[in-house]
Amino acid sequence: MADSRSDLAANAARERLKQAMIRLADGDSAALEEIYQSTRVKLFGICLRILGDTKEAEDALQDVYINLWQKADRYDPERASPISWLATFARNRAIDRLRTGKVRGGAVPVEEALPLPDNTPLADALMVDAERSAQIHICIQGLDERTREHIRSAFFDGFTYAELAARADVPLGTMKSWIRRGLQKLRVCLEASEAS
Amino acid sequence: MSSEKTPFDDGERDDAMKAAEHALGLLEGEELLASRGKLASDPDYAARKEWWDNWFVPWSDEVAGAQPSDAVWARISAQINASNVSSAANVDNSNVIDLTARLKRWQWTAAITSAAAAIVLAVMVFSPGTEPGSIAPAPDSPVFAAADPLVAQVPIGNTGLRLDVTYIPESEKLLVGAIGLTADGVHDHELWLVPEDGSALQSLGVVVPGEVLSQELSREITANMGDGVTLVLTREPIGGKPEGQDAGPVVAQGTFSQV
Repeated sequence: MADSRSDLAANAARERLKQAMIRLADGDSAALEEIYQSTRVKLFGICLRILGDTKEAEDALQDVYINLWQKADRYDPERASPISWLATFARNRAIDRLRTGKVRGGAVPVEEALPLPDNTPLADALMVDAERSAQIHICIQGLDERTREHIRSAFFDGFTYAELAARADVPLGTMKSWIRRGLQKLRVCLEASEAS
Repeated sequence: MSSEKTPFDDGERDDAMKAAEHALGLLEGEELLASRGKLASDPDYAARKEWWDNWFVPWSDEVAGAQPSDAVWARISAQINASNVSSAANVDNSNVIDLTARLKRWQWTAAITSAAAAIVLAVMVFSPGTEPGSIAPAPDSPVFAAADPLVAQVPIGNTGLRLDVTYIPESEKLLVGAIGLTADGVHDHELWLVPEDGSALQSLGVVVPGEVLSQELSREITANMGDGVTLVLTREPIGGKPEGQDAGPVVAQGTFSQV
């Protein structure tokens, strides 16, 4: 999917973001705006998908960048790409809002999500690691469809075990064992890919 | 709970499974708090959660991007500027008077009096940092320095007793008042801060019944302080949570609010 030119663009964007993160950690507040401009569309998409409400998602997004500004020194460029780290950070923040009861649980169906803006900043360039993306895809395809969908739904929609069980109309214990078996298989597959 | 038995029952699942559940966002309530506590105390567990996070995160590329309104950046930059200004402004004595008014309003609203809150005022008035004419904090001081104290009450069950917890940003001091509480001689209670970003719980120390304790907090903890931040109290063996073990059950919780 990526030719060498877009690889170069991706690397350049990633590197710029990494440098901005490092500057922010060094106390340069101006770096935050650069980070915001290049990542807001992706991170807002994640918050909106989890929270299912524009206002809540905007509040979550604000929290994400304020938190980032306060704790930029937590980011370790040796351990994760900046966009992976930020995407995880945003998703955790959105999930946390759901779990603290500030908002109803729920999600927007994909087709209802806001359209991409014309000026999508670096949208293509700021993809998370393509190689890992391919590997998790291979491993999740190894699960039966039902389990796969529940695990993906937990990730994308922020559902808890209880919510997934209610939606599938099965006992909680059944949903737990489906997902746990799936996670177990997933772990074996991912670990095998790391070993090879 | 279903009667179905599987190798993956709640009590039988291993840490790697719990870390996966946390990473996916499946956990809630006490299980979630317990897992966050474990992230604080068990580096292997934290690494396992990060391992799962890093495997799941490529999925976020499938989420459609969306454009937030311009108001979001306006609010972020206003908040940052306000923090920068207030950290410079709180060296002014006039702030103490303003604080008095707000503190009264808060006390009135909450319809209670708090020994800890009274101490805050004393500290604010006599703190050497409040001299007029002091200059703005050095660049290496914490970026976040909202001037206003944070107050939380942690009610203990239905006993009518509570912990009064006050945090004074300027001095990075935490006051924990456990007036009226008595020790049972078998347990201690440990207070934890629940970081809003979902990261591991941070210990604020063991509560001493019948006393108001003051301690200075590390930067790692003060970075997580803020309006709306949750505190939980866990029951532990005497001396607090043993190294390498999970935190005990959550017996009470409260939320910081700014006065």
